[in-house]
Amino acid sequence: MGSSNKKKKEKKKDFNKAKLKVGKAKAKAANFTDTSFKSKSIVVNQEAIAVDNIDPTKQFKQNLSLAATSKTDNIRRDALSYLINQLSAKPRHDPIGTAGILTKLLPLVSDSSKAVRARLLALFRVLPPSEVRPHAEKILMYTRGGMTHLSNDIRNDTLNVMEWLIEVAGDDVVSCPGGWLKTLNSFSSMLGWNPNVGSAMSSKGWTTGSKTLLGTKKGPESQARQMQVLAQFLKAGFQPEMSAPYESRAYWDNIYRLPGMPNPFAYLNLFGTPRDEGSEMYPDRTSRKRVFDLKWKVAIYTGIDGAKKEGGLVGRAAAALDKVLAEGLKEGNSVPEN
Amino acid sequence: MVKRKVAALEKVEADLVSLQYKIRRDPQSYAQEFYDQWLSYDAQRQIFVSAPTTASLDDVKKFHDLVDLVAHVADLYPELTAPYPDHLKELLNRHHAVLNSELRGKVVGSLVLIRRKEVIDSTSLLTTLFPILISTPSKTLRTLLYGKIISDLRESNSRTTNHRLNKTIQTVLYNLVTSDRTSTKGMWATRITRELWRRQIWVDAKPCDVMKEACLSDNEKVVVGGVRFFLGGDKEREEAEDDSSDEEIDVRRVKHVGTINKKTKKRRKAMDKAISKVKKQEHKKKAPHPLNFSALHLIHDPQGFAEKLFQKHLQNTKNKFTLENKLLVLQLVTRLVGLHKLTIISLYSWFVRYLTPKQESVTSFLASLAQATHNLVPPDALEPLVIKIANEFVSEASATEVAAAGINAIREVAIRQPLCMSETLLQDLVLYQRSKDKGVVMAAKGLQSLYREVYPQLLQKKYRGKEATMGLRSGETKQRKFGEEDVGGIEGIELLEQWKEEQKTAKLAAMFAEGEGGEAKIDVDDDGFDSDEWEVGSEETDSSGGWINVSDDEDDGPATKRPRTDSDAPPLVGEDNGNAISEANRISKLATTSILTPADLLKLQELRREANVEKLLGSKTAKRKKELIQRHIDEGVTADDIEMPANIGKKSTKEERLAMAKDGKPLREEHKSTQAIRKSKKEALGKSSTNKEKARKKNFLMTIGKARAKNKRSLTDTQKSLKAHVAKAKSGGRRKNGA
Repeated sequence: MGSSNKKKKEKKKDFNKAKLKVGKAKAKAANFTDTSFKSKSIVVNQEAIAVDNIDPTKQFKQNLSLAATSKTDNIRRDALSYLINQLSAKPRHDPIGTAGILTKLLPLVSDSSKAVRARLLALFRVLPPSEVRPHAEKILMYTRGGMTHLSNDIRNDTLNVMEWLIEVAGDDVVSCPGGWLKTLNSFSSMLGWNPNVGSAMSSKGWTTGSKTLLGTKKGPESQARQMQVLAQFLKAGFQPEMSAPYESRAYWDNIYRLPGMPNPFAYLNLFGTPRDEGSEMYPDRTSRKRVFDLKWKVAIYTGIDGAKKEGGLVGRAAAALDKVLAEGLKEGNSVPEN
Repeated sequence: MVKRKVAALEKVEADLVSLQYKIRRDPQSYAQEFYDQWLSYDAQRQIFVSAPTTASLDDVKKFHDLVDLVAHVADLYPELTAPYPDHLKELLNRHHAVLNSELRGKVVGSLVLIRRKEVIDSTSLLTTLFPILISTPSKTLRTLLYGKIISDLRESNSRTTNHRLNKTIQTVLYNLVTSDRTSTKGMWATRITRELWRRQIWVDAKPCDVMKEACLSDNEKVVVGGVRFFLGGDKEREEAEDDSSDEEIDVRRVKHVGTINKKTKKRRKAMDKAISKVKKQEHKKKAPHPLNFSALHLIHDPQGFAEKLFQKHLQNTKNKFTLENKLLVLQLVTRLVGLHKLTIISLYSWFVRYLTPKQESVTSFLASLAQATHNLVPPDALEPLVIKIANEFVSEASATEVAAAGINAIREVAIRQPLCMSETLLQDLVLYQRSKDKGVVMAAKGLQSLYREVYPQLLQKKYRGKEATMGLRSGETKQRKFGEEDVGGIEGIELLEQWKEEQKTAKLAAMFAEGEGGEAKIDVDDDGFDSDEWEVGSEETDSSGGWINVSDDEDDGPATKRPRTDSDAPPLVGEDNGNAISEANRISKLATTSILTPADLLKLQELRREANVEKLLGSKTAKRKKELIQRHIDEGVTADDIEMPANIGKKSTKEERLAMAKDGKPLREEHKSTQAIRKSKKEALGKSSTNKEKARKKNFLMTIGKARAKNKRSLTDTQKSLKAHVAKAKSGGRRKNGA
């Protein structure tokens, strides 16, 4: 009996009018189709599963692309490790070339993961210096971007990249377009010594601290480190120029041979956009010194004085910087240029 | 060791937004941070510019965010960010084709943003965006730029008209149209101009000049854009105006909702907004209507324009426009000819070829011909056309629709130039009122009634009708010669003059009756109003200052008194009698010798009403005819006007009748009772059910207890409750509606 009653009710149900209630959503119709969703295609980065029997070139490329584009920190880090292995192996396996690697990996300078940044620096260190030199300008751009990054960690790690760059291509760094003034600008902004900011805000009567720095305590270590790298940079900039050793063919090569380096007439800026003062090239020591005296000397000395008074780690770094500066400037005065 | 807490700002994802927030709250303290980001921006920009095509997604994203940050705070650090606008402009100019679409949108948006913050001015923004608009191949970018350009122009004209900017942009558009007449780039000029015209931002002659040049372009699309503007731009403008005032807000309803719903800040704001909007609308209603001239009236040198248009697009046999577009151009040309009474003789001979029933959309051609006719067109030019229409369209053998359309077209032409008709032709056409088809009959009768008024001599005597015959006999209906114009005047001015004279003599009489009294008063009160307010209206005798005396008044007398001496009846009635009154006398000198004040005009209206002047103005048909011509000056003749009589007496199909019946009634998707429709409407408005409905719907089991209790009540209880009910009803129910 019970079951037949139930069946009856169920049959009736179809013809019953759905009761509407105040404040409740209306019941969906029987044939209601939910169309609210939107279809999206899912893009999966190609991550090969099979490991063995893969063409090493292909694998290298794959890892390179993984390092540059993967969303997962660990994958990026591991890919970078793989690349380091390949590049430091003997014989060295580099199917793409330094230029390609740099183009792909430079955005990682301001990567959000610390491990990735560390691996990246390690990878940079295994690149052959002679191949890095032509790309100094490009690397410098990314380095400058990282030096004024919001995150303190990224800034500090970028300083390591800067240090490496000065090591391998110090001369190119200071003489490339924008390499001298703009980098100095970034350094002083990092240290909070920038005269531009004060004048722009025209804040008088307030002694602004060296930096407010959002949310992070500025350790003396990082400031000392910044000064240390700045000292290296200035040292590279004020290095006395050696006259090239005499070569009998050099004269004729200059006239008749195709130049061996990329963009040999960069200083003429034939095809680029017109440069302003900041992004101008300062190819020799004299011009660098002139511009430095004109624009940065006062600001940096003021900063150094302030830092010296702080004493401790910072004071010591400031003293070292002062020494480098004094040497560089003095030497320029005494040594006659040939 | 405790794990170091990561500060919020070090989470790279969220930082720039919060930095922006902090900077805006305290720009002084965050200058250093901003400068850092500015340097980052600069570095990213260089990275991007050095290889815009191969920039990695990561870089683009970073650059995008930094551009956004700088744009939002650029107004706070004007010195630091001085080169920023130039950066954006250069980026857009040089790389708009290869930029990532998101970044491109951001750059455009940032430019607009700093324009709104008044870092740059509108001119520089628009002159940047405009060249890109016309050169970019990307449709999304074009849409974006077009929207931004329009909205910026609107914005900068919202408070007061920014003449300088408008002039610059109009010049740019003009140059765009004129520089390369074969390219489609002119389309953008027409689109922008039309949109701004529609929104009443541009209302002067310069945009019309742009459109004029567009009409004379070589590119068909541009030409059509320009022509359509002249034919429909004004109507569009009116409609847009109506639309804007359409959304009405019921203040009572809004207030009522405010009392019921929970009181929140948001709701209060919404209410304030609604009320202020209503106030604004009311203010707008009271404001004087802006005097907007139609585009057709603002054209400079319409004769030259119409001639060029005609020669270039219509007469030129090498022109390959489609028929539809040619018709559009023809409509514009004829509209101009009719409106400004231009003379393009070759236009009429050009028409001959197209006036055959086989011609596609011939009714449009006929309408255009009617439109191109006015009283200064030589009848010699029109006569062959009329004869051709009569020969081709109107015959016993032709279809009735064709004949009706033909006769109607002839009538439309003849309304404007009655001299285009020969006697035999007219008599022949009038005879078609014996046709069996209603449309033909109506058309022929229309022609006949027209000629009864304007030129009854041409009709046979028996078709002239009573009024025309009487008019002919009395010599009142005169045939107008070619080029003769109406003598203009102010209706009923004689009445006013007469009234003034009467007032003056009455005053004088009163004055003399009193014996003395300052003579100087005479003119002070002579027009019967407080002349402190309307000094201008007093007559020229005022100028003589305190010297006015009676003799002075006599000097003035003859000129102004004359109409009154003719007869005692109002002058217009006197004219009806056919007495010999010279035309010079009939025209009052009042309007030419003094300035009519508003008070004068009011009096004039009153007098006119009294004298029932309107009755004297002419027969109803004459008035109707005048109205018809006026309407066509405003709107032009359309093909529908020509086809209309052909449809008379035709039975409509069932679909048409259904559509007609449905017109203006609420939409019914399904078969539903009117009650149900009303109810759903109510629900849509957000109204709840009534108490009655609720009572009806209430669960039976819930009511049953009460019902039982009610039945068990004692008599006194019942009585009590009934009494209470009555008392309650008397005092207006629970809500005290009556009180």
